[in-house]
Amino acid sequence: MQLDLSVLAPHAGFLWRGAILTAEVCGLAILGSVVLGALVAIARTASSRWLRGLAAVYVDLFRNVPFLVQLFFFYYGLPELGIYIDAFTTGVLALSIAGGAYASDAIRSGILAIDPGIIEAAEVSGLSRRVIFTRIVLPIALRTSIRPLGSVLINMILTSSILSAITLNELTGSGRIVASDTFRPFEVYAVLLVAYAALTWTVSLAVNLLHRRMNRGITQAVA
Amino acid sequence: MLAIEKVRKVFGATTVLDGVELVVEPGEVVSILGSSGSGKSTLIRCINGLERLDGGRITVDGFNVSKPRELAEARKRSGTVFQLFNLYPHMTAVGNVMLAPVEVLKLPKKEAEARARRILDSVGLGPRADAYPAQLSGGQRQRVGLARALAMEPRYLLLDEVTSALDPEMTAEVLGILAELARSGTTMLFVTHEIEFARRISNRIVFLDGGRLVVDLPTAAFFSAAGGMAHPRIAQFLSKMQKD
Repeated sequence: MQLDLSVLAPHAGFLWRGAILTAEVCGLAILGSVVLGALVAIARTASSRWLRGLAAVYVDLFRNVPFLVQLFFFYYGLPELGIYIDAFTTGVLALSIAGGAYASDAIRSGILAIDPGIIEAAEVSGLSRRVIFTRIVLPIALRTSIRPLGSVLINMILTSSILSAITLNELTGSGRIVASDTFRPFEVYAVLLVAYAALTWTVSLAVNLLHRRMNRGITQAVA
Repeated sequence: MLAIEKVRKVFGATTVLDGVELVVEPGEVVSILGSSGSGKSTLIRCINGLERLDGGRITVDGFNVSKPRELAEARKRSGTVFQLFNLYPHMTAVGNVMLAPVEVLKLPKKEAEARARRILDSVGLGPRADAYPAQLSGGQRQRVGLARALAMEPRYLLLDEVTSALDPEMTAEVLGILAELARSGTTMLFVTHEIEFARRISNRIVFLDGGRLVVDLPTAAFFSAAGGMAHPRIAQFLSKMQKD
């Protein structure tokens, strides 16, 4: 068996479109899960017991159910209730919701790590709760949680390959089609290996840059 | 006027403040002395609304700190400087100082920044105004803390052991600025272990012991044999502090 990538040449465009679709879904889901994660983290550190409980249930639920099952529920289950969502939107939503549960954990620990003295200083200077949250708590929490958040996001990119199970021909889905068309799974999946590695590597690079930028001046040694 | 009337504060089974009465008039510098655990810091935390009272009443220019609606007004009138600085780590010195003037006093950003830089300059930090807290020494951080409180132009400055976390050289930096503020007529309630300094700048000295206010005397009287020193607890405290 020899690696002969030339056999993939006629399918390069198809695979490329799959890769773009993966990037699109993941880009939107990264946005969605960070926003959702931040909101849920806020709820989980809120003073209202009701809000805290609701957020905890959400996190526990979506972390303890296989992603494939969540996906099938959204895509095949909801239409029974008359709710039809196309595969692309379902993919983005499912990834955002599952990723949001993990992201909220990362952000929540960032919030809990804040020195209470800092919050007290903000309170006595008369700042409103909203301002304290948006100008002090969240920015500090995001700075400390950006790295753990990064691994959540990378995991989400890896999980996105499961979306091929709901007819979304993203990178893995197109790979499977090409592999069965050409009978050359070795070449096809070798390309996929490299493509996913490149994608996650880009994200981890971006996270590192962001971490360095956000923490400039805050800690003496910025790793 | 800052009025503390029969204030009681309880933590579990411990009574931390027990019927404390104290009045601070504008222009006065009042130092609060007492050993650790005497309730000094708790008293400050009651005045700025960080602790809820279990009895009595505190008003700042008539605004009751126990009433949520009035607390905001009371807080506008007082500024607190903390022992451990409590600066916002993600903001520069200037950012720390201008945040509340912009968000609470609704000052335009430019004006707030000019004010922040002027005040930082006055505490000797003009050239360090754009540094982050982590890039500053302890003494410099505390001067930012002081500038942050002063930027709100408070009528009462509450100082909670502001030099306890600093080495002697940095302590001198900060005390020098406080002495200047005292001279310029800033009203201060000063919780401290710096007895000699308190003696130099205070109009009155208050001594707390086990949550009770033992004496409230003009500075000279506090240190006289017939005044504060007549109380065995105070004499013991002073002799011990001066030995250290």
